Amino acid sequence: MNPFNRREFLKRGAAATVLAGSGVRLGFAAGEAATQNVLLIVFQRGACDGLSLLPPAAASPDRAAYEQNRATAANGGTRIPTSGTGALLTLPNTGGRWGLHPRASGLYNLYQSGHLAAVVAAGMPPPVTRSHFDAQKTMELGTPGQQSVGAGWLTRHLLSAGLPASVPVPAVSMGSITATSLLSSADAITMNSGADYRLDAAAWGWNSADNYGASVPTGFKGLVETLPQLWTGDSVLEAAGRDALAALAQLRPLDFDLYDPTNHPNGYQPAGGANYGSSSFGMQLRNVAQMIKANLGLNVATIDIGGWDTHQSQGNPANSYDNFGNQVQTLSEGLSAFYTDLAASATNYMTRVSVVVMTEFGRRVRENSSGGTDHGYGSVMLVLGGSVNGGQVYGNFLGLDQVNLFEYADVQVTTDYRRVLSEALIRRQGNPNIYYAFPGYAGYSPLGIFQGSDLPASDFDRIFANGFN
Amino acid sequence: MTAAPSSLATRRSLLGALAAAAGLAPTGALALRRPGKPPLRDAALTDAAAAIPTPPALVRWLQKASFGYTQAEYTRLLSLGGSDDARWQAWVTEQLNPGAIGDSACDSRLASAAYLTLGKSLTQLWSDHHADTTNYYNRMLPVAESECATLLRATYSKRQLYEVLVDFWHDHFSVMGWDYNGGPVFVHYDRDVIRPNVLGNFRSFLEAVAKSTTMLYFLNNSSNTAGQPNENYARELFELHGLGAENYYGLLHQNQVPADPGNPAIPAGYCDDDVYEAARAFTGWTVKDGHWPYTSDNDGTYIYRSGDHDAGIKNVLGVHMYYNQPNELDGKQVLDAIASHPGCARFIARKLCRRFVVDEPSSTLVNTIANLFQSTWQASDQLRQVTQAILLSTEFKQSWGGKMKRPANAFVSALRGLGADFTPRPDNTTTYTPTEELLGRTQAAGHRLFYWPAPNGYPDRLQAWSSSGALGMTWRLLSRLPEVHQDDAYNGSKPLLIDVLGQTTAAVGTQATASAVVGYWCDRLLGPGFRPEPTYSTVVAFMQQNAAAAEALDLSKDEWHGGTTPDLKRHYTQQRLRTAVGLLMLSPDFLRR
Repeated sequence: MNPFNRREFLKRGAAATVLAGSGVRLGFAAGEAATQNVLLIVFQRGACDGLSLLPPAAASPDRAAYEQNRATAANGGTRIPTSGTGALLTLPNTGGRWGLHPRASGLYNLYQSGHLAAVVAAGMPPPVTRSHFDAQKTMELGTPGQQSVGAGWLTRHLLSAGLPASVPVPAVSMGSITATSLLSSADAITMNSGADYRLDAAAWGWNSADNYGASVPTGFKGLVETLPQLWTGDSVLEAAGRDALAALAQLRPLDFDLYDPTNHPNGYQPAGGANYGSSSFGMQLRNVAQMIKANLGLNVATIDIGGWDTHQSQGNPANSYDNFGNQVQTLSEGLSAFYTDLAASATNYMTRVSVVVMTEFGRRVRENSSGGTDHGYGSVMLVLGGSVNGGQVYGNFLGLDQVNLFEYADVQVTTDYRRVLSEALIRRQGNPNIYYAFPGYAGYSPLGIFQGSDLPASDFDRIFANGFN
Repeated sequence: MTAAPSSLATRRSLLGALAAAAGLAPTGALALRRPGKPPLRDAALTDAAAAIPTPPALVRWLQKASFGYTQAEYTRLLSLGGSDDARWQAWVTEQLNPGAIGDSACDSRLASAAYLTLGKSLTQLWSDHHADTTNYYNRMLPVAESECATLLRATYSKRQLYEVLVDFWHDHFSVMGWDYNGGPVFVHYDRDVIRPNVLGNFRSFLEAVAKSTTMLYFLNNSSNTAGQPNENYARELFELHGLGAENYYGLLHQNQVPADPGNPAIPAGYCDDDVYEAARAFTGWTVKDGHWPYTSDNDGTYIYRSGDHDAGIKNVLGVHMYYNQPNELDGKQVLDAIASHPGCARFIARKLCRRFVVDEPSSTLVNTIANLFQSTWQASDQLRQVTQAILLSTEFKQSWGGKMKRPANAFVSALRGLGADFTPRPDNTTTYTPTEELLGRTQAAGHRLFYWPAPNGYPDRLQAWSSSGALGMTWRLLSRLPEVHQDDAYNGSKPLLIDVLGQTTAAVGTQATASAVVGYWCDRLLGPGFRPEPTYSTVVAFMQQNAAAAEALDLSKDEWHGGTTPDLKRHYTQQRLRTAVGLLMLSPDFLRR
């Protein structure tokens, strides 16, 4: 099958849509896309309390300090116990020093099977900010301390990754507004859900040829087939419109609902009995899994999971009220289903899919007066995948003695988040241009979390690669 | 300029200035597409500036300063003066005095909506809704009705500029309307805190917001007490409300922040120390919500608790605060320091210019507006003056196409242009009402009102709203509008929300050629006599199908004429009419501003 160019697709609009309606798959041949690795970034919005996601376990030298700073469940505090109701899950290969929040049992299983790793004391390098918006923005732009760059780090990765010119859906940002990591990318499709992303709302008789199936009137061109003719000009708005039309056309053939013999015979069937649950996070993971399996050439995807800004009433797994734990459970169940679905398929897709879970900063070691925690610094990153050296906790934790805390209040950062992401780009996505993705970053060396070959880290020479555009 | 629809000569003479102000990428910008793909957003685009179809000036200005051009408002505008500049001056002057604008049609529709909560006092909202912990629908009815009433006013009010400003300031002082604590009192926030201040004084606005029950909950200042400060509100006061991240000096300490170039007595911006000190300054600003130990004070109103106030010495933005200053003075001095700061003036000026003019307003315009903002920082009509200056500026008048209608605003603009009969109401039945459907579709486009979860509010740049998802979902919402039924969205036995057919036949009568029909709706949606290409010809061809150009279409029927030997000009003609109107709304000409 010939790879096609999005513009050609729009020129052939009507014909291509009829093709889509008759079941011809538009996209890469399975062989080409099947070799393409996928990097999924899960961003915990609101600053996840790393000390509650990965609490110091009983044998940790920091357990005493942790308990001094976090009140017990009985007192409405956030201290996760080491035994009894709500006890942490002690992680193997840590000498009993680290635990996992008890409601992350799915993630615990993935850790035990060697597919999940954690990085402690991870976060942004100086200059440090405790503003959500600054931190998220500068992390996703990939330029610590600077907000003037107009593109995200994933945008620059896509520019420099050596992808072929015509890839149907190289990047997806699940949500209502494009993640900043994909800012200014002309390749990212942003959608809240795959099933929503469709032009199907005009009058039935004139919406689109595929409403008629095989009995489409001869010469019929509905709104879907006609709309591209309105978006041919060269303004910024119209260029954006063409991107949107191409995205809509590429996803139109897919049925994103779950399989149902009557209503959704072409619907999606997760493999391995994977249950994504009813959260929007779970549904978006399922949609991404479906797009991966549809061989549309997906290279990167971003998903948000919110609710981590626990300034008050953070809750405790030992109590019936556990606000933070609710988010942990959503995270764990969703990622577990995603892993099962992709790994249990006829092709084990998880060998080429990597997930990085990150957040903008952690939270203060000491609780505040409202049963919550305020903004901090170092936090935890999680890495998940079939090609991950999991079952270990990476990173250098400097301890919770106040003298070792950042500004005497927060967990220090000893692993720059860019180091983890760069290793993903090099070892998993085969893109050595990490100094282009992260301008100003220097001195990269791998932590060893991901499997794959090391390439010499470099910047990207855009002039030669781009001809004289 | 004359009142006639733009002649070609008039349009061309504007293009030079317009091109520069339109949102075309500056020369030398990165071509952010991968090698081998044609560039979409780079210098090559500036060559094509002449191709943006441009409606008459008054249409453009209405598109930018109101919730969308309507033919009726345009016609009224013509009668306000003898030249476009004079007409615009008159319109702006009139709109800046909204209390004097009669709004009976809108008022009638509001009355017919029979909202239950909009007139309740804060204490009534507290006892009727905030106290309700069993019936979520009743608990949240105030924010649900506020959302509906806001859409109603945006669509039907004659006080258009006022409603646009309310939209702006709700984004600026954004709260998640459906917050469990803030939602039940949201009516108070909208009616008593935001709306009265949009044409007033920014310093007063800051204090009204600081003391609002909604904001005290949303940013946790209600639980900010001495010895256990909660800095959330103080941080956003600096970063989002007052000075902006552009004036943030991060982890520098106060004695390291450089002095302001214009006034060495004050720092150039704020740092984390200022945030912490300000958090201390606002301790004790709380809500009477029965929290310990004040368990008998529970009516939802603001109160200052000196017993919870950190009375120690503080320093914020160079202002020294003595030990144990009188009640509220610490916090008020913080607000004074922010509202009078040149950084605040630039920050607010830039945001307002971004809303009305273009995404990256010129530093000349921003500085002019900022100087006015700062010099009037104690004037009771500061924001009226600032808004007026922006709307009468050359940059405002000359910019076109660099912005687009955000989804909720495009939705309202469509309702206005289409003559919709839509009274949004919350609903607790199992019926799928048009309100529920259309609010849901607006949410899918990422712009449901009062639904942004973070305090920074919805973005205001074309880049955010022209992403494939936002634009695709906006198209989906707009194309659905002509199909929605009253009362029960998908119930074909109910009348349509928008009577496209009736309005068309009333206008064109028996002369229902494709060009007459499409031309009529171009007048209604895009501008009088404005026939932008390729939109106009494409939609005419769509409507016309195999009819002759001069042939009247039979709009009285909606029948199948498909199959292998179809007669497409007669195939579902009424559906095709509604879809043609949909295509106009899905065009770049409808969405740009």
